[in-house]
Amino acid sequence: MCFGIALPLDALPESLVHQHRHRVVLREPGAAREIRFLLCDPRPELPVWHDNRLVVLPWGNRDAASRLPHTAWCRQESLEAGLWRHLHPEPVVIPASLGLDKGVWFLITEGIRGVLVKDEQGTPHVYMLTQPASHYYRIMTRHNRMPVFLGRQM
Amino acid sequence: MYKRIAHLDADCFYVSCERVRHPFLCGQPVGVLGNQGACVIAGSYEMKAHGVTVGMPIWEARRLCPEGIFVKRDFEWYEVLSRQILDRVRRYSPAVEYYSIDEVFFDAQAMSDREIRSLQQQLKEETGVPVSVGVSLSKTLAKSASGSGKPFGCVFAIKEDERNRLLHGRPVDKITGIAQRSRRKLEAFGIRTCEDFVRADRRLIRRLLTKRGEELWWELNGVSVLPIHTTRVPHKYLSRGGSLGAATADAERLSAWVARNTERLIEALDYHGLYCEQLAMSLQFKTGGGALHGVNLPAATADFRTLYAAGKELLAACWKPGITVAYMHLIAEKLTCREHAQRSLLAESEPRQQVLDHLRQAINRQVGRWALRSGATLPLKDIYDDPANAYEICDIYGKSCF
Repeated sequence: MCFGIALPLDALPESLVHQHRHRVVLREPGAAREIRFLLCDPRPELPVWHDNRLVVLPWGNRDAASRLPHTAWCRQESLEAGLWRHLHPEPVVIPASLGLDKGVWFLITEGIRGVLVKDEQGTPHVYMLTQPASHYYRIMTRHNRMPVFLGRQM
Repeated sequence: MYKRIAHLDADCFYVSCERVRHPFLCGQPVGVLGNQGACVIAGSYEMKAHGVTVGMPIWEARRLCPEGIFVKRDFEWYEVLSRQILDRVRRYSPAVEYYSIDEVFFDAQAMSDREIRSLQQQLKEETGVPVSVGVSLSKTLAKSASGSGKPFGCVFAIKEDERNRLLHGRPVDKITGIAQRSRRKLEAFGIRTCEDFVRADRRLIRRLLTKRGEELWWELNGVSVLPIHTTRVPHKYLSRGGSLGAATADAERLSAWVARNTERLIEALDYHGLYCEQLAMSLQFKTGGGALHGVNLPAATADFRTLYAAGKELLAACWKPGITVAYMHLIAEKLTCREHAQRSLLAESEPRQQVLDHLRQAINRQVGRWALRSGATLPLKDIYDDPANAYEICDIYGKSCF
């Protein structure tokens, strides 16, 4: 699983960075600042490439009354089995340079795959795609699910 | 022998390589993990400042450095930068030793101090990797000097006072070649520091640490006796294997590991133009302990069927069902140069098999290293699916050290 991502500031347009300046942190004195999108944020959101634009969308769904799955992740197996078909999921890419799982920050080379679905009001939400963890990922994070990565696998 | 030897040691090399292709990691606490994701095999200075050490389990490293960033090792990429460094040094020096993936010795006789500093700067600019350099009268002194200048230092220990300063108070086991056992032997004679060592009687050192110890004594006294190996000293044996990833007691999976290690061993034998006359297997069990067995081969060979059959025989001797294996090594011994090997009908592959072997090698060169491989490796699909398993540090040829 993945409970957060981080990006260097230059990976996002200035306007987005300004809009999300409360997410900007300094990991180590002397290092460059980064922007973090965490599931534990009061309003969890993720940056997403959608329609050739980089936008920040709600991450998963916390509203029990909504028809959308009450989670932040979408199992690739469920997606392939058609369990999300009624929501008309669209594949999206979540740009990420770092991921966070069970307190371990790890490098992501290209990004993470996700799906975009719309709620009753037509508001798009993004879910992170997950798959069974590789041996490496399981040892590193002690988690049995990992994101579906773009490019180099883990 | 040489009068001025330089030792170049890349600063936190694996991390520096990752920073070359991921510049946002610069200045961050970064740890490179081994292929199992369990242990830190290299750390940035920022991570080390939190108390993280090489070999530390990730859960301990995470506790000490919660903001640490962990990266999966990629030896193929590290080799690219390692060879770039090596090539650049070769432009300046007539004698260069590729000591390890991140260390190079070179003859610096014809280079001024300024030229050496300029090479260091040039390497940083052209490869992106910071290196520390030590220059002295012997390899051992030069290596100590580069170590004392980290990070990105350039230390000259040529004159007597410079050499004394370098060795002053330095524990004797900081010298490559003096490990714990040797340290204990020396300690019994009150030799604790490098200074004590160089002042000790040469014959005593010879008696305690044999020829190798005496060589170090000369080297630390400023007399170069260890040559710069511009080509690798021929192997006495070749070994392939290591951790099995998830430890296993599954017979099929263990056989598949024998097949994988056999193919990797043959690749190394082919590279060096060698046959082996003996094969050995070493296993380490998850619960501790292990087994080591060897077998004589019918003749000098590098044939897959012969070696795989011998490997399976060794597995049967080393392992009993129910025992979980964590590490396996297959070791080719009694190596002979193919040109000089005695021909034997027993060991010759059939001509048809030889054609197939060459065809397989050609396809793999074209398509990918393990695109075509023994069917016996099928139970290891997960291992072959992970590109990081396709390249180990031992696949980087030409290094004189591991």
